[in-house]
Amino acid sequence: MDNQIYTKEMPREKSFFRMLYDFLSGFALATVLLLLLLLLTWLATLEQIDHGLYATLNKYFSWKSLFLIPEINGKKIPLILPGGYYVCALLLVNMILGGVIRIRKGPKQIGNLISHFGIVFMLIAGGVAHHFEERGNMAIYPGESSNVAEDYHEYVIEVAEVKNDERDKFHIIRGNSLTDLKDGKQRRFDFKDVPFSIIVSGHLKNSQPVSVAEQAPKKGELVTDGYYLFERPADETAERNIAGAYAQVVFEDGEKSAPFILFGASYYPFTVRDGERLFTVDMHKRLWQMPFDVKLDKFKAEFHPGTSRPAEFVSDVRRIENGQEAKVRIEMNEPMRYEGFTFFQASYGPPNAKPGDEMFTVLEVVKNPSDMWPEYSLYIVAFGMLVTFLTKLIGHVLAVSKKRQNHAKKI
Amino acid sequence: MQKKSKVGSWVFAILAAIGLMVALVNLFIDNMPKGEVQKVEGYKPWDKKTINLVAGLPLQDGGRIKPFSTFAGFKMLGYHGARSMKVKDDAGMVHKIKPTAWLMDTVFRPHLAIKMPTFRIDNSKVLEAIDVKQKGRRDRYSYEEIVEGREKLFQLAQSYEPIEKKKRDPEQQQTIDLAYNIRNFEALLGYFSYARIGVKLDGTGVDGAPDQRVDFSAVMSSAPGLMPELERMKSQEGKVPERLLSLLQQIEDGANYSKYGLFILPPADSSKKDWLTAGNAIMETMTLKIDQPDVAIKDIATTESAVRELANGEKAFREAMSTLIKRTSDRAKPSDIKFISLEVFYFKSDLFLRAMILFLIGSISSLAMWGLGQSRVSKLFYWVTLSSTVIAVALCVTAIVIRCIIMQRPPVGNLYDTVIFIGTTVVILSLVIEWISRNRFSIGIAPVLGTALIILARRYEVGDAGDHLDPLVAVLDSNYWLTTHVICITLGYTSGILAAMLSCGYILMRGLNLDGENKELRRSLTKAVYGCICLTVFLSLVGTVLGGIWANYSWGRFWGWDPKENGALMIVLWTLAILHARLGGIIKDWGLHLASVFTACVVAFSWWHVNFLGVGLHNYGFTAGKSTIWIFYCVMLLVLLFGFAVMLWEKYSADQKNLNPVENGELVKS
Repeated sequence: MDNQIYTKEMPREKSFFRMLYDFLSGFALATVLLLLLLLLTWLATLEQIDHGLYATLNKYFSWKSLFLIPEINGKKIPLILPGGYYVCALLLVNMILGGVIRIRKGPKQIGNLISHFGIVFMLIAGGVAHHFEERGNMAIYPGESSNVAEDYHEYVIEVAEVKNDERDKFHIIRGNSLTDLKDGKQRRFDFKDVPFSIIVSGHLKNSQPVSVAEQAPKKGELVTDGYYLFERPADETAERNIAGAYAQVVFEDGEKSAPFILFGASYYPFTVRDGERLFTVDMHKRLWQMPFDVKLDKFKAEFHPGTSRPAEFVSDVRRIENGQEAKVRIEMNEPMRYEGFTFFQASYGPPNAKPGDEMFTVLEVVKNPSDMWPEYSLYIVAFGMLVTFLTKLIGHVLAVSKKRQNHAKKI
Repeated sequence: MQKKSKVGSWVFAILAAIGLMVALVNLFIDNMPKGEVQKVEGYKPWDKKTINLVAGLPLQDGGRIKPFSTFAGFKMLGYHGARSMKVKDDAGMVHKIKPTAWLMDTVFRPHLAIKMPTFRIDNSKVLEAIDVKQKGRRDRYSYEEIVEGREKLFQLAQSYEPIEKKKRDPEQQQTIDLAYNIRNFEALLGYFSYARIGVKLDGTGVDGAPDQRVDFSAVMSSAPGLMPELERMKSQEGKVPERLLSLLQQIEDGANYSKYGLFILPPADSSKKDWLTAGNAIMETMTLKIDQPDVAIKDIATTESAVRELANGEKAFREAMSTLIKRTSDRAKPSDIKFISLEVFYFKSDLFLRAMILFLIGSISSLAMWGLGQSRVSKLFYWVTLSSTVIAVALCVTAIVIRCIIMQRPPVGNLYDTVIFIGTTVVILSLVIEWISRNRFSIGIAPVLGTALIILARRYEVGDAGDHLDPLVAVLDSNYWLTTHVICITLGYTSGILAAMLSCGYILMRGLNLDGENKELRRSLTKAVYGCICLTVFLSLVGTVLGGIWANYSWGRFWGWDPKENGALMIVLWTLAILHARLGGIIKDWGLHLASVFTACVVAFSWWHVNFLGVGLHNYGFTAGKSTIWIFYCVMLLVLLFGFAVMLWEKYSADQKNLNPVENGELVKS
């Protein structure tokens, strides 16, 4: 066998890892991922018309969605696309490897390097917000105060003991432990210092308790105390969904109660008595507590004269913490940021308030660890792109001008 | 350099002729009523002095104080679909009536206004359904011609209203629109009826003489004594005399006729913002709810005097109107009426129409410039194109600046603003590219784009018929974000559109061999397109992230997957994909230009199409131009297909050349 002599011109065989690195950091992958993301964004925009925003986002950009089949005007498109979450994740890898590590380093590339770094930071900010952001709302009438915000979507089951006519020692079953309890699946929940467990089953995202006298069950739903949970189609506006589930109490001696219905909009909780101790079991949207109180002093809603076009919404509030008060004004585009929480002027009510009626304010409460990161990343990206763009433009103008001068000299 | 293709030149000439035809149809013919000019018996045109005076009457509408002429302009646009109409007088003389004169006829001379061809009805089935005699398509009808089907029209409209707007067919929607227009027009026709008719005092006519009439303002003066007396009669005597009941009924009717339409009376209390109609002033005075009745009584007396003086000639009318205008202007907040005269000038001067005519001249001249090659005459056309385009763009800039002064905000706040802003900036950017590249292509495309976008603005204005100078909703009312985010995004649209149009030109030029295979020109265009794509990435990315930051301040979330936000992101993703593909060598010149043409579709979706989707926070809820967007997509697709075919043909020809070098004579030479 002849000895092979490698010359510069002959391509060297690449190792698998080198090829993988080249692939992951390459322009081709970047282009494909950008196009995929474009396609997903476009399809998600169209699909939210029929299915609402929340459901569409879960389908297109949730980490649970590995692949998806798009649907437009109620018709499935025969196309299997990767989930947006994983496209973004791969794009992040591509950008770190290609746009930060592999990119040629030099004065001409400095702008691109900065921009890529900024976009990597932006994508990370998006990822952090996607996983860790919490949002809810707080409705307060003038003169009242609150320190809890209600989640927009998550329904939880709350078990509390009643002491001195007040509910105490709350135990919460979070929504992510409930939403998969469908199609006969059930789960048992135990609580510390509570003499019973709860078995939950038949969870419905949007439901309505219906009396069998009113309408007989059609899908073999469980009937308890003359009622069953009727499954309603998911609302396009996900906040309007009202969850429901069946539950059963199991005491320490193994005795089971009859199944009962937990409904997200019930007026009264289910009560459980164990000897002298009294407990309530309830389903409602998750409430989260803040380390301070917000008291509404005054709410003002103004409209452009003679129209129903909103001109100004202003909430004058007092933030009360450890007995100290601070006056703050919250209005459109001017939120209150404090201790990791941000309060926005979101809405007001009641919906059909007449002039002179007392109105309440609705503040959106957001806890997002990456709240300001996109802003910082913007400065980085903009600076980097400006450097690149100006470098190229000036270079081009100088080249054209030189060419013209040379041309003039020749003439 | 090879010779240009004659066939290609002819194809291009035909395409240019079609384009020009479309522009001319839009400019002149489309807005002209079909059929004969309608005769209005007894019509006499208003004196210009009178029109100029009344044009400046301040009134409140759409949440702001605006001149009578602006209000008239949009009302006329809404009813008539144009800002002018023609009528014939008794002598057969044709008069062109502009908005201020038309609204003056409507409120001061309703007997003439009902005969004017005010209503444009596009769908004759609407009239067929209400048993009204039909004319041609897009013809105009007078109130008098429609009134016989009025009741049926209202019944039909009422039956269609419960249908969800998205599900209504065009006929149902147009029936509802016509019913609304008729009702609103009636409110204007009857607005000053209280001043024309007065109040009849029953039983005051002696010896067969008619009963006496008094002014509404006179009855209003008696309200402080009359109303308590009325209450006393009701409680003590249990009944009210017939004569008094008749008087009160007439007051109520008169007030109701003038309850809507023109909010011309500023509040007497300066802390209040809502202006009153004459009907509000009458009713609030009679029910003793008004704080300063003397002011309202004097206001009504002044309007009565103005309306009555019309019978004594226009000079007397003008004097009375001057008194009314002075009275209301003196009471209005100075900041509210500061730019009334400027606004009258803005709409009267119609700077965008003038700019469009100049752009059209520039477009024709640029065609001649391209057609004549490098000759001296061509140079002349170059200067004609340049000068007309520069003057036109200066007019557009002036108009935008005036709008900013009137609105007291940055130039872009609604969809109409975006059209005129993009129309102006795309021309400026073309001129900048021409200055850098001197390829005589960008200069030619500038007026063409200017013409097209001003046509779009005019069509949108007619379809929407809304005043786009009206104030913004609370969340948008931020000059900082309007200046940064909105301007950035809109400029991103500008550069994206320009890149696409330059590429369209490149594809047509190369495909039809209009450039004689001038490689220098091709390279210059490719560089310009690449630069525009870079600019689009920069502006769209920065604008989109700025929008996210604004949303984070307003709603507490950086990204909400709103269709408009998604559209902006799509532009960013698409242009980034182009740049990465180019840098990675995946696409070359042809690929860059074909991708750049598709940028126009992505921009059109983001800028225009998302508004039709009916979801999201940026949804404007309109349908005007829905068909235009599909025509635009089709045209872009045709250009893409043509370009793709030419690219494949060139590749095939090159391959053939390489396969048969002897036949091509290449080896013979060596």
